Amino acid sequence: PSPAATGPAPGPPDGGWGWVVVFGAFISIGFAYAFPKGIAIFFKEIQGFFGTSYSEIAWVSSIMLATTYGAGPISSILVNRYGSRPVVIFGGLLCGIGMVSAAFCTSILQLYICVGFITGFGLALNLQPSVIIIGKYFLKRRPIANGLAMAGSPVMLCTLAPLNQFLFDNFGWRGSFLILGAILLNCCVAGALFRPIGAAKASVKTQSVEEGKEVLKIEVTKDAMEMNSSTNVPVESKTEEEEAKDCCEKVNKYLDFSLFKHRGFLIYLIGNVLMFLGFFAPIVFLAPYAKHIGIDEYSAAFLLSILAIVDMIARPATGIIANSKWVRPRIQYFFSFSIAFNGTCHLLCPLASGYTGLVVYSVFFGLAFGMVCAMLFETLMDLVGATRFTSAVGLVTIAECCTILLGPPIGGTLIDTFGDYKYMFIKCGAVMVLAGTFLFIMNYYNYRMLAKEEKRKAKEEDPKSVRTENEGRNNWNKETVQDGPELEPLTEEQEGLKKDVNGT
Amino acid sequence: GQDLTTPALEQVTNLNTSNGLYVEYEVLLPGDSATAVEKNISLDSEVKIELSCRLDDKYSDMEILQVTWKKGNETISHISKTKNSWSIRLLISDNSKLGSYTCTVKGKEEFSVTFHLQGKLLPKIEGREKAVISYEGDSAVLICKSYGYTPIAWTWYMTNGSEQIAINGSLLLDKYVINGVSPNVTQLKILKLTSEDGGVYWCEATFVLGKSKGKLKLKVLSLMVPLKPFLAIVAEVVILVAVIFLCELCSKKREKHAEDEKEFDQIEQLKSEESNGVENSSARHRKV
Repeated sequence: PSPAATGPAPGPPDGGWGWVVVFGAFISIGFAYAFPKGIAIFFKEIQGFFGTSYSEIAWVSSIMLATTYGAGPISSILVNRYGSRPVVIFGGLLCGIGMVSAAFCTSILQLYICVGFITGFGLALNLQPSVIIIGKYFLKRRPIANGLAMAGSPVMLCTLAPLNQFLFDNFGWRGSFLILGAILLNCCVAGALFRPIGAAKASVKTQSVEEGKEVLKIEVTKDAMEMNSSTNVPVESKTEEEEAKDCCEKVNKYLDFSLFKHRGFLIYLIGNVLMFLGFFAPIVFLAPYAKHIGIDEYSAAFLLSILAIVDMIARPATGIIANSKWVRPRIQYFFSFSIAFNGTCHLLCPLASGYTGLVVYSVFFGLAFGMVCAMLFETLMDLVGATRFTSAVGLVTIAECCTILLGPPIGGTLIDTFGDYKYMFIKCGAVMVLAGTFLFIMNYYNYRMLAKEEKRKAKEEDPKSVRTENEGRNNWNKETVQDGPELEPLTEEQEGLKKDVNGT
Repeated sequence: GQDLTTPALEQVTNLNTSNGLYVEYEVLLPGDSATAVEKNISLDSEVKIELSCRLDDKYSDMEILQVTWKKGNETISHISKTKNSWSIRLLISDNSKLGSYTCTVKGKEEFSVTFHLQGKLLPKIEGREKAVISYEGDSAVLICKSYGYTPIAWTWYMTNGSEQIAINGSLLLDKYVINGVSPNVTQLKILKLTSEDGGVYWCEATFVLGKSKGKLKLKVLSLMVPLKPFLAIVAEVVILVAVIFLCELCSKKREKHAEDEKEFDQIEQLKSEESNGVENSSARHRKV
């Protein structure tokens, strides 16, 4: 009896319309990461206009960043429910509305709400779905797709910085906010490109999968009765288990909390939360540090440009390297290495003397930063699989939110207390080397455990190898059904790859 | 001790790359009399100057051992040399840069010249180079900063045609608000802007030694100005989204058409097979 009426369903396209989706994600991710940094140009003027201190103005950026990361779970729930496209289009509209209303603000509090919360929330609704849909369109070439999409951030930053300056010189801050609102509406265009995939096929598949489930139940009962007499107990407990699972499945359909039992997810979470403590502070303080050691303002700004340009090239390059057959199975090690490399750069920075030293530092920092960012979401997808990634990314971003916000202020406090920038660099470097080492060791452990589990599964399946190929596929279907909303099972070769690489 | 002159020269070389407008003062050596040559230069504001000492042609064969430029007792290192003249470039930004600069040419004979830079330099007032942009009905804030020294008083002027009108008393009703944010900073807030409020504004700082001015430009725009690019971009977004959705609908219709045709073909096939089977069985029946 063949349950799968559609036969072996195709996996993710790994190309075709996928590249258009990558372009859309490029735009969306670019705005999400670059916009909070880009509006810093307006702060001096707004500070004078409202007569506030600089730190009060800087809160606008912080609130925006916090909302973008903190609204991650909400984004995940919405994508689980409605898919990526409507969420991104709605996010784009929110961003536009936020900035347009910011143009008419009369107090700093209104700016916090319009620019900070509303636009920040809109950007959150852009960021997560863009990353998620890449996982739906790509598998074999996913690292390249991720690297290309994440390259949107430095490209947008390099574009937004001079654009914002031009808008400011010609329209003042109010006019600029109005026009930036319109520019952010382009996220809706990016969202329109995110054609849903797997949804229509999934409904057909769930039908056939359910058929398969029923067939399996009958088979199992038959087998059980054949093997031994006390078969009623296992069958009943199985039905009870399934009921409990249905309820959990409902909650997990919206936000998969069962991820907290997932070993790979926990490793990733702890490692990344630790890493973000030292990730952004060096960028924030690079220009002030350069000025502190006597470099003029324009050369200091040029250091950041060097960083952005190297970053731009490093991200797709890392994607290509991570996709190669030597690195892909061990991508977690590559990720840990790049974090540790990043940390080492920071530790060596205080040794850099003069402008040339700082230029070398900027080049290596840009390289390391690009490497980490390109693989940031790819490694998470690799650990939890594309289906659970939707919830995973939301849970991870809200956890990272705290440390991201704490990082620069802690660095600032260190600088103010000791009057020297080197302690900030040492702290950032140490934290990141620690995070990299932790991830390396824990992933080595994880890979070994996964290998053991595979061996165990292979042994269990041996006596049942009498069954036909279709039933074997059914077993695999049953396991994946427990994970929640579905992609079609992958073809033979992709199955092999997924087994090697994903834990359940 | 700190070399006072070298930082000034470093600034000078930086400025040189951005614009090379230097006031040049040149003295010919050895001069008319046997006594040391002196020259007085009076300055009243920040200026970039180039001082050079040139050796007379009749000494052009003389072997030159050393040429030094000194301010007081301190030697200046960045000397630029042309055929037979040696010069230094200076940015005179405040009173500490004033003083006596001596050029000494040592060869078989020794010649020297001293430039006395005198005057009283007033601190620079920073306004804003680029225009401040604001909108009708909104308010604008113009800020002036004084570097280094605290002025006794600040006065604001607005330009009406070619006249400068002080903003004080009678005008200071509900239109202008002058705030002293800190002793070195003054702030003029203009409320309820109209397009006539645009133009040049001056902030004048009064010091013990004199007065110094800073310039600001204000531009008042109407809301229509940013609205045009805004509407253009919104239109672009709407058009692109519509095009994308239309393309998708079109390709879906085409796919559905193709699928329908396939299904139709399959049904036709099944029908023909069935009818064949029925014929066969009936044939068999008949045979039997």
